[in-house]
Amino acid sequence: MSEKKKTVIRVEDLYKIYRVGESKVRALNGVSFTIEKGEFCAIVGTSGSGKSTLLNMLAGLEKPTKGQIVIAGEHMERKNENQLVKFRREHIGFIFQSFNLLPTMNALENIAMPLTFQGMDKETRLKKAEEVLALVGLTKHKNHKPTQMSGGQQQRVGIARALVVQPEIIFADEPTGNLDSKTSAEVMNLMKKVIKEKNQTLVMVTHDDHLASFADRIFRISDGKIVSIEYGSESGVDHIDTK
Amino acid sequence: MKFRDMLRMSGSSLWKRKVRTILTVLGVVIGTASIVVMISLGLGLSRASLAEIEQYGGITTITVEDQGSGGYMEEESSDSQAEDKHLNDDVIEEIRNIPHVEDVYGVLETEALAMCGGFQTYVSVRGVEPEKMDKLGITLAQGSFPEPDAGYLQAVYGNMIIGDFYNEKTGEGYWYNGELPDIDLMNDSIIFVFDMDSYYNFIWGGGESEDGSAPVMPKKRIIEAAGIMEGTVEDYGSNSYYVYFDINELKKILKKEYKNKAIPGQPTTSSGKPFKEIYYSSIMVNVDDMDYVQEVQNQITQLGYHASSNAEWVQSMQGQYFYIELALGGIGAVSLIVAAIGIANTMMMSIYERTKEIGIMKVLGCDMRNIQGMFLMEAGYIGFIGGALGILLSYTISFTINTVIKNLDLGMEMNMAVGISYIPLWLAGLALVFAVFVGMAAGFFPSLRAMKLSPLAAIRNE
Ligand SMILES: Nc1ncnc2c1ncn2[C@@H]1O[C@H](COP(=O)(O)OP(=O)(O)OP(=O)(O)O)[C@@H](O)[C@H]1O
Ligand SMILES: [Mg+2]
Repeated sequence: MSEKKKTVIRVEDLYKIYRVGESKVRALNGVSFTIEKGEFCAIVGTSGSGKSTLLNMLAGLEKPTKGQIVIAGEHMERKNENQLVKFRREHIGFIFQSFNLLPTMNALENIAMPLTFQGMDKETRLKKAEEVLALVGLTKHKNHKPTQMSGGQQQRVGIARALVVQPEIIFADEPTGNLDSKTSAEVMNLMKKVIKEKNQTLVMVTHDDHLASFADRIFRISDGKIVSIEYGSESGVDHIDTK
Repeated sequence: MKFRDMLRMSGSSLWKRKVRTILTVLGVVIGTASIVVMISLGLGLSRASLAEIEQYGGITTITVEDQGSGGYMEEESSDSQAEDKHLNDDVIEEIRNIPHVEDVYGVLETEALAMCGGFQTYVSVRGVEPEKMDKLGITLAQGSFPEPDAGYLQAVYGNMIIGDFYNEKTGEGYWYNGELPDIDLMNDSIIFVFDMDSYYNFIWGGGESEDGSAPVMPKKRIIEAAGIMEGTVEDYGSNSYYVYFDINELKKILKKEYKNKAIPGQPTTSSGKPFKEIYYSSIMVNVDDMDYVQEVQNQITQLGYHASSNAEWVQSMQGQYFYIELALGGIGAVSLIVAAIGIANTMMMSIYERTKEIGIMKVLGCDMRNIQGMFLMEAGYIGFIGGALGILLSYTISFTINTVIKNLDLGMEMNMAVGISYIPLWLAGLALVFAVFVGMAAGFFPSLRAMKLSPLAAIRNE
């Protein structure tokens, strides 16, 4: 790892408190960390520990109750919804657990969709989509609708869709949650390979320790707090406990 | 996001839900058609009565009459002015300078006796420049307009003239016994006598003419026909009772015929003497647009002339028909309102179904305005397609109504030849714009809702 590391994500004292009737649910209870450019981080924890809540707030899909999120130098908590959408369009790729491809579009069109939102003309965006489709190895399936593809293939399309805008940061919430373990490993390797090539930052939520071990760093989260930050088994064995 | 891409995406999501789209469009088709057909009935009635007014002297024409010639004018007040306010070319130039005046020309009116093979009649004679004749609304059934500067008189006969001839001996004519006299105005030689006073003095009086000299038989002129106006002997039009001549030729003849005597229809000095100049009996003013007729008429009146037109008639009639159109359109609008509710309902359902899709688009960075825009466009599409088909349907219905009514031959007094239902292009255009507007208005709140949907919906649950 090189000396000159650039911080792309800085989270400071982040709280998210849901009110359900009279009671309060502390989904996030004071979280602080930084992620550097080019890092592959995994967020692991048991169900209900607040992983998704954290990721959604990083991606600007939810507003924090308290605290700061600075991504690429910009304060996410100060943006309104319009600005958040614009920020996502320009800086962020998102991979869903349930793929979330549009059923009426074929693979190529699905991948090109974020470029449409950027106002790119049809020819250029289809060309770019085709490049990314080749990268995930699905050129043969470019005219297939989501229903005509397996889960693994669909998720590769989903990854291609996140990659096509060449975002600085990619968020993925249990990207392999709907896939078997062998396919999951393939998908993980693919994601890792691609982001390392382009020096992109990937933040992935999972509850599977094995999948988390693909990451450079693993944030272990429990009851809305980060309990430990570990280095992934493939990149080191250091284990750091937090307070 | 590019406008074209938005159009394509919203178009394709309509296409995806074909049946529902078609049903919603159908509502708009019916709504649009009912408004358009209803208004077309009002417009058709209005147009029919405009056509009727057209027969009574035109909609955009103002007639300026000589102050003296109208016997109904209050003598004292006009007397002082009457002297110098007679209508000549100076007046024409004066009027020509008024804005919106398209054309001005003088008409000379007098009378004559026409005779042919034992039949005769008094006729009102008018002189205008031949090239202005069609501006007076004259259409010919036979022949042509007189050639300018022919050097002799060529007559254009009104279509009702033939019915006025009566038998010299029995006094019977068409209006008496229903038989048209056996005269071919185009080819028989018709004899005209202009100075009727002298003629009758000669025939009956044998007495003395005004200056005491013995009566002289005025010249009998055989006059060639140039044309006959369109219409049967019973079709009234503002020109049907006149014989038209080239004004220049007519002036020459009148000057010769009357020498120093007063020409019938011409103004005289306060002492009853004729003027040197032959004045116009009236001046016709063509205004470029119906809307300016009243304005121009007022200006002419301010110049000190007596002007009249159908403007007031037209205005009050149009006012009436405007309310009729409004009422009919309002009735038709009810079904478009129902259609609008249908659109809103369809859009709401579509948003519920697409909550996830909208969420995904938001997560992937689709601008909120674009999301709203796409939904508005979908609603607009429904309005547009429904409107366009509705207009087609309206034309079909309108055509059917007109055909049926024509065949029924209700014998209404109004001129139904043009049809009772009339859809002008502007109505079709307006209906289309309105349908799109209604569609988008109905889609507005749903689109706002779509825009505000939380993107989390896309991520949560299956
Ligand atoms: N909209 C909400 N309203 C109320 N409570 C919520 C809401 N969203 C999440 N929570 C609560 O916040 C806590 C964290 O939820 P979160 O979805 O982040 O869990 P997670 O770690 O992603 O779990 P899983 O692994 O099952 O996806 C949970 O206790 C959940 O009940
Ligand atoms: Mg979760």
